[in-house]
Amino acid sequence: MANNEAPAQVELIIPCQPEYVGVARLALLGIASRMPFTYEQIEDLRLAVGELCTSSVEWAQKNKMHEARIVLRAEIFSDKLTVDILDTAGPRRCGESTSRDEEEENLAQLLITLLVDEVEVTPQPEGTLVRMVKYAGQQ
Amino acid sequence: MSFKIETQTLDDGLPVIRLEGEVDVYTAPQLKQAMIALLGKGAKRIVIDLTKVEYLDSTALGVLIGGLKRLREADGNLLLICPSARIKRVFEITGLDKIFEMYASEEEMKTATQKEPD
Repeated sequence: MANNEAPAQVELIIPCQPEYVGVARLALLGIASRMPFTYEQIEDLRLAVGELCTSSVEWAQKNKMHEARIVLRAEIFSDKLTVDILDTAGPRRCGESTSRDEEEENLAQLLITLLVDEVEVTPQPEGTLVRMVKYAGQQ
Repeated sequence: MSFKIETQTLDDGLPVIRLEGEVDVYTAPQLKQAMIALLGKGAKRIVIDLTKVEYLDSTALGVLIGGLKRLREADGNLLLICPSARIKRVFEITGLDKIFEMYASEEEMKTATQKEPD
């Protein structure tokens, strides 16, 4: 795929519940396997998506948003993969943690930061959008 | 995405929780329950066998850290059997490989722990 071509897009919508986080990871594994990522990079992406979805699930539980959902949108470029995780899990209030232990949250943040090249968090009216970018061919 | 958990007792009486599959936000509560059950029975040292684990996230790490803290408060320890480079990497990138006592095999762990007083 040339750089100026529109990226291929894959979209997955899942309930914002613990049992569906594995579905998001599996989808990401399939998408990333089609790209020139190393085995380790694919594992990094799988873990990062898992952590982001887990965070959405935790906030949905905290906000009692039982009908919340996660939209995973992947854009496949020739040199990078962009993944948007958009949830309707309600607001993530600063200074207020989820039911998770603070240490666990810090670990999740650390993992996400270390595993992907770019992460951007944007509050949305119904939840949060996190965009992560992983470049192929970089370690 | 199957997950299995089984608590066994080794020949020397050491309890071991054997995990298989993916340990994440959905399955980690089962690990927590198994550890709480052993702690409730007064276990001082617990072995977690990650040999057949193929995915592990921060939720699982959090449960393991919680167990380690409780055991060390009671002068005990949590021992991990982790031969998989993929799983070990999660501990390495978070720096937790320096906190947990990790072994590549059950044999290696037995050899090391037989040298220590219980």
